Amino acid sequence: MKKLLLLILFMTGFISWSQSTCATAVPVTAGNTVVVSINGTQIPAPLCAAENGGGATFGKWYTYTPTINTTVTITTDITANTPRVDTRLHVYTGTCNTLTCYSGDDDSGANYSSIATFNVTAGTTYYIGWDNRWTSNGFTFQIIENSQTPTPSSPINYTTQSISTINSDYNICVVDMDGDHKDDIVGVNNNNLKVHYQTATPGTFSITNFPLTGVTYLPTWSLAAGDYNKDGYNDIVLGSGSGLSILRSNNTGTAYTGITPGQYIFCQRTNFADLNDDGNLDIFSCHDIAPNVYYLNDNAANLTYYQTSVTPGAMNLGASGGNYATLFTDFDNDGDSDVFISKCSGPPCELIRNDGNGVYTNISATAQVNVTPIQTWSSAIADFDNDGDMDIIITASAGTHRFFRNELNTSNSVEEAYTNITAGSGWDTNTSTNIDNIAYDFDNDGRVDVLGAGGKIMFNQGNNVFAPINYPGISVGAVGDLNNDGFLDIQNGTTIKYAIPNGNNWVKVTLDGIQSNKNGIGARIEIYGAWGKQIRDIRSGEGFKYMSSLNAHFGIGTATAITQIIIKWPSGIVDTIDNPTINSVVNVVEGSTLAVGEFATNGFSIYPVPAKDILNIKIVDGISMKSAQIYDLTGRMVLESNLTNDSINVSSLTIGNYILLMKDDNGKAYSQKFIKE
Amino acid sequence: MKKNYILLFSLVISLSLLIFSCTDNDDEEQYIPVSPVVVDLTQVPYPKLSDYKFFEGDMKNQTPALNVLPYEPASSLFTDYAHKKRFVWMPIGTKASYNGDGNVLDLPVGSVLIKTFYYDNVQNVTPVGATRIIETRIMIRKTSGWIFAEYVWNAEQTEAFLDLDGSFTEISWLEDGIPKSTNYRIPNEVQCIICHKSEEMVNGSEVIKHIPIGIKPQNLNFNYNYNGVTKNQLTKWIEQGYLNNNFSLPTAENTTVNYNDASKSVELRARSYVDINCAHCHQNERHCDYRPMRYAFSETANNLTNMGVCVNTQDMQDFSPSLSKIVSPANINRSMMYHRLNTENEAIRMPLHGRTIIHTEGINLIKDWINSLQPCP
Repeated sequence: MKKLLLLILFMTGFISWSQSTCATAVPVTAGNTVVVSINGTQIPAPLCAAENGGGATFGKWYTYTPTINTTVTITTDITANTPRVDTRLHVYTGTCNTLTCYSGDDDSGANYSSIATFNVTAGTTYYIGWDNRWTSNGFTFQIIENSQTPTPSSPINYTTQSISTINSDYNICVVDMDGDHKDDIVGVNNNNLKVHYQTATPGTFSITNFPLTGVTYLPTWSLAAGDYNKDGYNDIVLGSGSGLSILRSNNTGTAYTGITPGQYIFCQRTNFADLNDDGNLDIFSCHDIAPNVYYLNDNAANLTYYQTSVTPGAMNLGASGGNYATLFTDFDNDGDSDVFISKCSGPPCELIRNDGNGVYTNISATAQVNVTPIQTWSSAIADFDNDGDMDIIITASAGTHRFFRNELNTSNSVEEAYTNITAGSGWDTNTSTNIDNIAYDFDNDGRVDVLGAGGKIMFNQGNNVFAPINYPGISVGAVGDLNNDGFLDIQNGTTIKYAIPNGNNWVKVTLDGIQSNKNGIGARIEIYGAWGKQIRDIRSGEGFKYMSSLNAHFGIGTATAITQIIIKWPSGIVDTIDNPTINSVVNVVEGSTLAVGEFATNGFSIYPVPAKDILNIKIVDGISMKSAQIYDLTGRMVLESNLTNDSINVSSLTIGNYILLMKDDNGKAYSQKFIKE
Repeated sequence: MKKNYILLFSLVISLSLLIFSCTDNDDEEQYIPVSPVVVDLTQVPYPKLSDYKFFEGDMKNQTPALNVLPYEPASSLFTDYAHKKRFVWMPIGTKASYNGDGNVLDLPVGSVLIKTFYYDNVQNVTPVGATRIIETRIMIRKTSGWIFAEYVWNAEQTEAFLDLDGSFTEISWLEDGIPKSTNYRIPNEVQCIICHKSEEMVNGSEVIKHIPIGIKPQNLNFNYNYNGVTKNQLTKWIEQGYLNNNFSLPTAENTTVNYNDASKSVELRARSYVDINCAHCHQNERHCDYRPMRYAFSETANNLTNMGVCVNTQDMQDFSPSLSKIVSPANINRSMMYHRLNTENEAIRMPLHGRTIIHTEGINLIKDWINSLQPCP
């Protein structure tokens, strides 16, 4: 009797001691196991459920060795725990000396209890480590074998690279900064611009720091990029709660100057857009608490401040407050960018049509997208059904999502209402909500997907139906192709999630505007092939906060040929590329595919053809030209002239094709291709 | 001659106003003292604060002129530790009306609310340790509704000038002996409107009305020291002729407390704190009514859900998943409310406006309150 008691005491002591470390972990099998308290000396590491960081001081260890290949769930979200206990679970393979994370969970269950589901192999030992990140209190956990169907396979998978040198205060921008059309990583402090330039070696970046002065406001709310001074290097706008600052490149991309215009703005989404279609990028900012504001670019990158409904002559770009995100894209396929404003504080979202010449008309009621109540900080906008027009998913920041199909019919002059097709689209059952929501083809299957809330990509299944796949550790960030493999990657702070090519084919289109703005922001790109048609618009400022690539990415799935790429520039110029190579980067200089004399928007003609030393220019009556610039077909400016005697000496140019860009006294641009022999 | 006599008499009266009764007059003529305040609704806002004649003597002393009545809410909004002096003035013969314990008193056309923001023990002025008045905010009730006027004080502290554009000013001071500093925000007019508004949708369009915040019976229902005479503020307003005497003073349940008053319950202090610091946006028809919290004092009695307790956070982007509840009982590390009050990050902090540094005493109160709560059901 005494011996038995001793034995029990000994065993109890042994058991509580024996779960203290990985080496002394107690084997468990399917069913319930009681954990008296978290008091073991070995703290589980590395953290497999790491999203809430370290801070645990004790651990508790078990091993589980299944006898069959199956899927198991380890859960503390069970009635044995009433109320639920705030547990955290880490699951490892390997040995106690080389623990490798295999699964884990912190908070998936009710009241922060844990649920982890993973596939197991018979005979393999899995180490189960609990820690006291939140509480040392005891609980019961359950191992359920074969309880779940295996999770569906993902159409695209990601690898992770951590780059510790991405350490600026704000790291929310992926865009080309050196003019090589490859996406770079941009970080901003108040006194420093740090660029991780993409090199020829994937995953390797070269770092340049640019000292800054004049930066009063930092991008606490959003950041946008665009080459508004048209020197071949992107400039940056930083949107804060008190106003905006601009980082303007010098003409060689070797220095940046901070410019703070000074107006009070509670910035939300900022954008670069050519608001008045004059070929110059303007700067736009959503205002949270007042009508929207913008700075018009005068053709020499001098900026003039306007506020809708306040400044005399201001454009009608959102007259009430509560503006969270603007997205500039062409909804009616008329060649200019319209605007969608996501709103949250009462008034409905606004669809504003660009009627040209700086005239904007709010057509939200006609389009029937003015539903209330609505709560969105940004909307996902793309041609989700590949029928050639931009559809709108008003992705909710709270409440429910709304999916509107564009019913555009350009054969009449009627403004068609959009159709609410939320029911059955997958958006009706998606209860996750987010501030940032962005539309890209993440798996290159030829259909545009949406990345929004909670580590979930809503994959476009075709026919306007979406299905979620969860990616632990992925959230909205800056998006671009950071290893130049044609698949879109996601940068979030120091972490880059590289898409692993899944065999789908693709094409990437990069632009150099001549008569239009340098980036081709506002250009429509169409690709044609076995799938029919796909479209993209170049936009500066998707979603709410981040700045993503200004290149156009298309996946084409298993198709093996693209018959044609068409670029419709904001200037009206249309470039056409037949039978481009798939899985390649296609760079298009505005007008480069046109024949001499084919330009539609001429204010002048040139002779002789071809030109040798002197290029003579005959200007249409009534137009007074001020400047002339000559670009080669890589988009590089090679000659600038003040235009005397209606002729330009081109003897210094090498033989080849060039584009002559002329601007009149009002800053209006005209271009022509010519041949130098 | 008579005019001078009246002036002289007025001066004597105003000097002795709070000591002697003005109606006790044994001269053969009856003299009604005249408030010097000038509020011409066709001319306001005036270019200078002194134009209103709200104050007597050296303006920086903020000595109220006749009929300019000081007041104070039980709990006050935290604005980077700025001290405040508040005054109300109404045209002679007009008075406010009661509209519920938790609703703003309905002030007559011509009324003015005056609020001066200042710091004591300022370290970056000469002489070091002096008081610095930064700004005086004014709301004026016109026929069309309330308007805002913002007066920024000069360095000499002799005058304040109308400026609704907003600006920043660096200030460092000692707060109970502890050095603190901030880049103090003087608001732009649209920032005033964020908090001082109600908004409703009428036939599909948004109608915005400007409103005061602090002058609710629930906030004024305590004794205030009027130059040595202690009196309930609502009673004083009635006696002053500033408030219709057609209601009963709020009950204790309907009265906010000073959140700094450690003798009161943590629950009452926390409810009073969020009422004055958060409820101007987080209630129906206010700036941020699209979030589930309902922080008005009248809506938080026995209503932990309105306080955000065990309520899911709606936007989790860029936040730790541990912050999935607005308030997690007994766990500040899992409470989004605590996280947003305990940061200076502009894109995360709450309130969004009026605060740039952390309110240590406030965050400690909220911590005590969260730790006092029972687990979610």
